[in-house]
Amino acid sequence: METIALTIDGKKISCPSGTSILEAADQYGIKIPHLCYHPDLKPFGACRMCLVEDEKTGRLMAACVTPAAPDMVIQTATARIIKHRRNIARLMIAEHPESCIVCSKGNRCRLRQVSAQLGLGETNLYHLPNFKPLEQANPFIIRDLSKCILCGKCIRADHELVVVGAIDYNQRGFKSRPATAHEVGLERSNCTFCGTCVSMCPTGALSAKTSSYVGSPERESNSICGFCGVGCTLAVGSANEKVIEVNPAHLAQSINGATLCVLGHFAHDFLNSEDRLISPLVRNNENGKEDELVPMAWNDALDLVVQRLIEIKNENGPQSIAFLGSSKCTTEENYLFQKIARAAIGTNNVDNGGYTSGQFLTRVFDEKTDGGWRVNPLRNIEKAEVILVFGADPNHSVPVVSYYLKRAALQGTPIIVVDPKQTELVKFASFWIRPKLHTDLELINALAALLHEKQRYDSAYIDKYTEGFSIFRYSLTSLDLERACQVTGIDRQCLMDIVEAMNGKKIAFVVGHGILQQKWAMHSLGAIFNLSLLTGSLGSEKGGVYVLARENNQIGAMDMGNVPHLLPGRQALDNDAARKRWQKNWRVKLSPDPGLNVVRMIEAAEKGNLKAMYIMGENPLRCLPQPQRVQKALAKLDFMVVQDILNSETTQMADVVLPGAAFPEKHGSFTNLEGRIQSFTPVVTPPGNAKPDWEILDLLIAKIQQSEAYETLEKIRMEIRKYIPAYAQLNGQKPGWIAQTSQKALFHNPNADGLITFYPVVRAAEKSEDADYPFSAIIGSLRYHLGSGTRTNASQRIHGFDLFGEIEISPEDGAKLGMADGDCVKVISQFGTVQRAITLKKEIHPGEIFVPMAVNSNDAMNLIELTNLDDPDSPGWKTVRVRLEKA
Amino acid sequence: MKPTEVDWQQLQTIIDEHRGDQWGLIPLLQAVQEHFGYVPPETIEPIAEAMNMVPSQVQGVITFYAGFALKPKGKYVLKLCRGTACHVKGSRSILRLMQRELDLKEGETSPDYQFTLETVACLGACFLAPAMMVNQTYFGKLAPTKVNSILDEYKKEKKEKEK
Ligand code: SF4
Ligand code: SF4
Ligand code: SF4
Ligand code: FES
Ligand code: FES
Repeated sequence: METIALTIDGKKISCPSGTSILEAADQYGIKIPHLCYHPDLKPFGACRMCLVEDEKTGRLMAACVTPAAPDMVIQTATARIIKHRRNIARLMIAEHPESCIVCSKGNRCRLRQVSAQLGLGETNLYHLPNFKPLEQANPFIIRDLSKCILCGKCIRADHELVVVGAIDYNQRGFKSRPATAHEVGLERSNCTFCGTCVSMCPTGALSAKTSSYVGSPERESNSICGFCGVGCTLAVGSANEKVIEVNPAHLAQSINGATLCVLGHFAHDFLNSEDRLISPLVRNNENGKEDELVPMAWNDALDLVVQRLIEIKNENGPQSIAFLGSSKCTTEENYLFQKIARAAIGTNNVDNGGYTSGQFLTRVFDEKTDGGWRVNPLRNIEKAEVILVFGADPNHSVPVVSYYLKRAALQGTPIIVVDPKQTELVKFASFWIRPKLHTDLELINALAALLHEKQRYDSAYIDKYTEGFSIFRYSLTSLDLERACQVTGIDRQCLMDIVEAMNGKKIAFVVGHGILQQKWAMHSLGAIFNLSLLTGSLGSEKGGVYVLARENNQIGAMDMGNVPHLLPGRQALDNDAARKRWQKNWRVKLSPDPGLNVVRMIEAAEKGNLKAMYIMGENPLRCLPQPQRVQKALAKLDFMVVQDILNSETTQMADVVLPGAAFPEKHGSFTNLEGRIQSFTPVVTPPGNAKPDWEILDLLIAKIQQSEAYETLEKIRMEIRKYIPAYAQLNGQKPGWIAQTSQKALFHNPNADGLITFYPVVRAAEKSEDADYPFSAIIGSLRYHLGSGTRTNASQRIHGFDLFGEIEISPEDGAKLGMADGDCVKVISQFGTVQRAITLKKEIHPGEIFVPMAVNSNDAMNLIELTNLDDPDSPGWKTVRVRLEKA
Repeated sequence: MKPTEVDWQQLQTIIDEHRGDQWGLIPLLQAVQEHFGYVPPETIEPIAEAMNMVPSQVQGVITFYAGFALKPKGKYVLKLCRGTACHVKGSRSILRLMQRELDLKEGETSPDYQFTLETVACLGACFLAPAMMVNQTYFGKLAPTKVNSILDEYKKEKKEKEK
């Protein structure tokens, strides 16, 4: 790129051509005041506050929209410019209401800052405030558009960054304001309450609503969002040791830039919920007294836990104890947690809540690529030539990913969506295919077969990086395409169109829970893997496989060996060499016996084989299918410890409850869905006597092993760095990435020469439909809740949003059943029922219904059968056959 | 033009003529307004979809241009000039007179959808100040008597029709 030289305020500077004067000056520390400029938004030039003067011509121009030109001589603060800036600010203030003192924006208001810099007091203008009604019918955002200065940042953020388009300018002149279509309240528009516009607004026109007066933050420090797997960087404002405000931190290279979603931005008020656990509790079994949980001192409670666990271990063996850890807790905590299980107690019965979203199935990719597939910066999505989205609705599950996808679509990248539901992404897609339920595997295999048949595959790549193509292609030729079309309901022409769109392109595959929790998930993942090889996409900067992670640290939990079959560093437990290494690291003997995953734990408890469970940061009574069955199973345990932050269905059953800390209350690290390792430091202290979870675990392991405690987090990190090469960059300081340690040639390791094999072509067995249950219910999430909704339901804001989770039914089925919006329906599966109001949606396919999770104590789980997602016969947790009755 | 039930079939035909046209939004809105007499608000969503835009954007365009209306207007749209030349020549009292005579405020439409009273900044006929337009017809050098007789003409026309 061409470099140009110019002079600003007497300083000689140079910048790439195309840079605006404002940005060029900024790089040399010359600050030009501005109100409508934002580095992530397209230049707009609405406020004129950034006026500068061209010394040669005397011309005044807006620095944010004027590109720097060679040999310009610019002045940024002459008397003439100041005079103009002051006039502009005076006009804005003349139109502004006189409520600065009580404005929630306080001294963070940019208009106030700029006016103060310009030394403005009274405007001496005829005051003409532009009163608009205050809009605050929703629990998230207050709009006081009398304070709007029409900078357009909110509108541009809404269109350019989060690509929702809920608001735009309406009217013109004095009446002009940002408005929703039909000028309805935000809650009746398509606004997602991501709050990005709120953080952008330079004045108090847009602000976050709080249920009670919280004042303005005393301190602000950065953290990482602990809700979904994106791992947004946050600027967290606090006062009196309470988190009261969250904004995007907007750090260079952060995943989220200036955006967030409704959870990160607003749902953090769960931290101040009355349901927070603030003291260790122990079940009181004294005679004559009601069985209840009573407070106990930390040391006594921990001694009790250790004593009971050791007793049970001595009596029934280590396999009678199971540890359910958390995909929400930190990487360091997950490491300690499984170490307690494997090294201190001697059982491989460890798992984490990530199981429920099928995360562990990604081991197909691990095995095939020696872990090489795992680092996938989302920024590369911008470079993808085609994006193929399988069973993923990131607008609801991991919103920031959807922003990336929609922005790519606006840039012209073709998106192909494969989903039974008309998701919000479909509007941005070039193709939308709607295979019949449970037929993704056939569809993906058929695409592979067609790519092969039409020779639309990347043979140079296949020759160089893979082996066994001849066997694989033979299985592809033996696939019956006619049958595949019949089974999936997608005709050959349509498949052909997709194949043509994929031809010669590097593809980013985005895989969501529609695949992960679905029947034949493992085979479907394998088939997607094959597509990524056939098209030469895997390992390319322009492609790869992005598996969505619902929760913040699903990846870290799995990396730390908080799954039964993997030791830390994702080394297989049944690999003798790996096990020996960890025996040496920990100086203990490790059991080779395979451990139980969470479903097997429940089954073992049911049979009476499991005696004790230690549950950290999970609420199995809410997140697992068939909650009544789970409850009965847990009731059979002799001893149950629950370490958590909120009072929950599960803590109510515990013998000992240990209060942990939430992410802004402790040190730790999360690994996000890209493979980015991000550490954070506390913003506030934990409530009451609650302790950071790693401290609790540290005390426990020392007590059980009668060894010294780690005492500092750095010591734990040191151990992780030392023994897990992939985590060499976990240092508590700068964000890092999972290291590339794959021995496959594809991943550019200098000495790696391994070749990759294809996943076998598996054909799914025909399924028979059950006439008693004529509908298929799809269970899925809404953006206002995370997972089973334990934390989000404790948020007053989310609560105040009155989300009923209406069951979505196609208008055709609604007509057939004689049901209209708001009617109540009973959904009955073989395993349980759910009763709710319905809403008719054209996005739903006839014969299918959508049941949102997380509302009504997550009763959607009643419908599904608690089966092992690993089992080839498992029907999955995503869909279930149901019948509908009017209620 | 009274508010009408939107004839979706008709709307679809109009939209299809413009679907996918680059810069096609304004011609499409004109066609819709031509047909329905105004742009019925419930047409915003289908128009947005066809033009690959979001509804808030389409609404922004409609409300930006004075030429588009989201509400039905009267059969006769009276546009009184409030520009400088006309102001100097007394258009303010003409406006008051018209408001009284029609029992309408600026921007309002009579319940029978006969009259809409609007003001504009300059009709470009300053030599005729004070001036106004009724639909496409100009009237200049207005004075109270002249205004009364113009209004009477249009009111009479209505009564004759009713006979
Ligand atoms: S609401 Fe705020 S961000 Fe939006 S245009 Fe007005 S001042 Fe700018
Ligand atoms: S909250 Fe988000 S979706 Fe809603 S208007 Fe603001 S930017 Fe758009
Ligand atoms: S929930 Fe996910 S997308 Fe939303 S703010 Fe948190 S990390 Fe970002
Ligand atoms: S910052 Fe340049 S015009 Fe607003
Ligand atoms: S000012 Fe009225 S026509 Fe020009």
